[in-house]
Amino acid sequence: MNLPFSRIAFRPIISTLLRQKYAMTMLLLQIALTLAVISNGLFIISQRLDILQRPSGIDEPNIFVLTSSGFTENFNPQTSMQADLAELRQMPNIINAVATYSFPFSGSGDWDELQTLAGSDQNTVPAASYKLDENGIDALGLSLLAGENFTASEVLWQTEDNKTFPSVAIITTSVATDLFNTTDWASVVGKTIYINDIHSVVVKGIVLQLQAPWDPVGQIENSIIYPRVVTRNSARYLIRAKLSMLQETTADVEQYLGMSNQQRMIRKVESIKTIRKQVYGPDIAAITILLVVITALSIISAMGIAGMASFNVIKRHKQIGIRRALGANKVDILSHFFVENIIQTTGGIFIGCIFALGLNVFLVAQYALPKLPLTYIFIGIFCLYLLGILATLKPALKAMNISPAEATRSQ
Amino acid sequence: MFGYYIKLALKSVKRNPILSLLMITAIALGIGASMTTITVNYLMSADPIPNKSHQLFHIQVDSWDPNNAFNDDEDALPNQLTWTDATNFIHAKKALRQSAMGMSGAIIEPAGDDAKPFEASIRLAYTDFFAMFEVPFIYGTPWESASDNNREQVIVLSKRINESVFGGENSVGKTIIVDGRSFQVVGVIDDWQPMPKFYDVNNGAFNETEEVFMPFSLKEELELPNWGNNSCWKSPEGEGYSAFLRSECINTQMWVELPDETAKAEYMGFLNNYVMEQKELGRFPRPLKNRLSNVMQWMESQEVVEEDAKMMMWLSFMFLLVCLLNTIGLLLAKFTGKSAEIGLRLAVGASKADLFKQHLVESAMIGLLGGIAGLGLAVLGLQGIKSLYGDFVDDLATLDISMILVALSIALLSSIAAGLYPTWRACNIAPASQLKSQ
Repeated sequence: MNLPFSRIAFRPIISTLLRQKYAMTMLLLQIALTLAVISNGLFIISQRLDILQRPSGIDEPNIFVLTSSGFTENFNPQTSMQADLAELRQMPNIINAVATYSFPFSGSGDWDELQTLAGSDQNTVPAASYKLDENGIDALGLSLLAGENFTASEVLWQTEDNKTFPSVAIITTSVATDLFNTTDWASVVGKTIYINDIHSVVVKGIVLQLQAPWDPVGQIENSIIYPRVVTRNSARYLIRAKLSMLQETTADVEQYLGMSNQQRMIRKVESIKTIRKQVYGPDIAAITILLVVITALSIISAMGIAGMASFNVIKRHKQIGIRRALGANKVDILSHFFVENIIQTTGGIFIGCIFALGLNVFLVAQYALPKLPLTYIFIGIFCLYLLGILATLKPALKAMNISPAEATRSQ
Repeated sequence: MFGYYIKLALKSVKRNPILSLLMITAIALGIGASMTTITVNYLMSADPIPNKSHQLFHIQVDSWDPNNAFNDDEDALPNQLTWTDATNFIHAKKALRQSAMGMSGAIIEPAGDDAKPFEASIRLAYTDFFAMFEVPFIYGTPWESASDNNREQVIVLSKRINESVFGGENSVGKTIIVDGRSFQVVGVIDDWQPMPKFYDVNNGAFNETEEVFMPFSLKEELELPNWGNNSCWKSPEGEGYSAFLRSECINTQMWVELPDETAKAEYMGFLNNYVMEQKELGRFPRPLKNRLSNVMQWMESQEVVEEDAKMMMWLSFMFLLVCLLNTIGLLLAKFTGKSAEIGLRLAVGASKADLFKQHLVESAMIGLLGGIAGLGLAVLGLQGIKSLYGDFVDDLATLDISMILVALSIALLSSIAAGLYPTWRACNIAPASQLKSQ
């Protein structure tokens, strides 16, 4: 007994396809372009997903921030901040609170240049600068891997223009690696580094991760923490609530601070989650748009393939009848159309690989996208075979059911 | 004859409803996707002040670090000015109109016991700002240029602030408390949102216009906080606000209006002389390089159009191409199916040209229907973009007449182009072969 698919006549199939040169070219180009867009699109999506998954190092779900702006002539920022923080820290639902203008996703902050040797001709490592008191590590939820936290006596309370520089700092593992080319964190503790070529500080501790508030240089993991609190009329507090107490705590804090001092106003009360969503909004949007484009493109391609196949079924109605009358069984007819489709898809894929790589070269040159890994082309190829077979299913079934009696009917 | 072709085309579209629907949907999706992205790109790169964009120039001078250029690109100039240079340029008064500017913010306390204080953003500028950028006023006028020199506490309000503080009435001459000090209102401007916000692209090219305007000279007088971007290659020498202002940190933008090439050349000469003089004083350690960019050049150099938007546009063009290839394939199939009918018409005396016209009308009709449906999809797409990116793109996501015309012409042209080959093929069949019974 013959296996059903061993009776496929490849030569006649190919020669029919070659006879429809132009329609075939259109179809092949379509498949090829679809492959190019799908593979590059999926690649861009995965790049964006990587950005979204970057760890910030902080206890994101439980932190919120707010701004307290004093607006009267005799408002004293330092006493107000100290009173507020003391009160916040003893509230039952709050783990800790800290005053800071920058935090991951805040979108603004200073960058410093760090170096291991003094002198203006040294290589420097950029790092985002955070100014926190001894409660900062706990309030952000950072994990200290080596060394120690700041002590209260090390913390400098300064106005913005005060230039006194602290003597110690805490850095992230990524800064430690960039500066000292090591992963032995304990060995970095106690070393002296130079900030912006002039100030020297001793590394007091290493934290695992702390994302920079914004990323102008592509070094988002690089941060340095100084034991400083900068006092301004407008202060920003970062508050870490106990697990799943965020909403209640936010309301309590807002109410308390609003009542406690009439010389200021409380504004911009936002959770880190909300701010994060805004920061990553464009990436989320790009992912959504790409997914829509890829889906729509797949549907269009499937429609094109299905349209051509149905047209062929109608055109070959009589011939199919004749083949059936001459002894071809239903599986032969079905497999004829599927093989035809697989040959088409394969042809399209050959051209498509070239298109996909070409498009990638263009995107690399214009928009600094990395090179396309071949995996994405393989995913695209798999999708296209699946799409082709699904699209051919209905017309092929219709062809299969053409009765042999059709051969005798005149059209 | 044209009417007759349209009738035939309609008939033919109706005869294969599914095939026709497929083609119309394909064109509609392609047009919808590409119009959505074209619109966003078009609005991002629009000329925000078309009648003057060639006369307004943003000033750049290279005051940066002797060892490093402003960024990785060796040719890059700092994108803002130091307070010192901007103030000197203003005092030199070498342009027809000129304004240094910066961003700040303060708490406004409306009168009345139950009115809550709120925070407002401030644009610090010189009085020429309003005339230079053609800012529309509802009440009053810009402040006098004496106010700039004398550091008077005068203020121009946006329409929205005037509504929330003064209930929308003519508030010129009244006082308003800003940052704990009283200011005299001299004018109220109408809604004004240049898109992009070209005069300060460093602080968000699509951000909202500031809520109040006051003389730039008050920045030093009142020590107003610096809200915008600030970059330094060297720490300020000394402590205090004055040291910050007089440092090499850049935080000030400056625009000048220069009516013609001569004025521009003269201004360039002035800038070069200025830098040479400053070099004698030990500033400007880098090689002499200054630049005047007009509005469009400035936006181009600051890459105002988001790369994502451009990338999406290219992808959507490829999408449109696939949709058109699809239509060509389907039209080929459809016209081949009509060969018997074409043969008959040729045999009874229709010329090839007649048939060609008839089928082009048919493709054009499909294109037009697809284009109209595509416009609907583009409106939906733009709604989607709004909901994805949030309110700030509101003005970026609207279709105007020219975009609608572009969409319809792309649809029409591309469907005709798609129809050309299938039509040509259809018209070149030998009538006899088609008239025989199969």
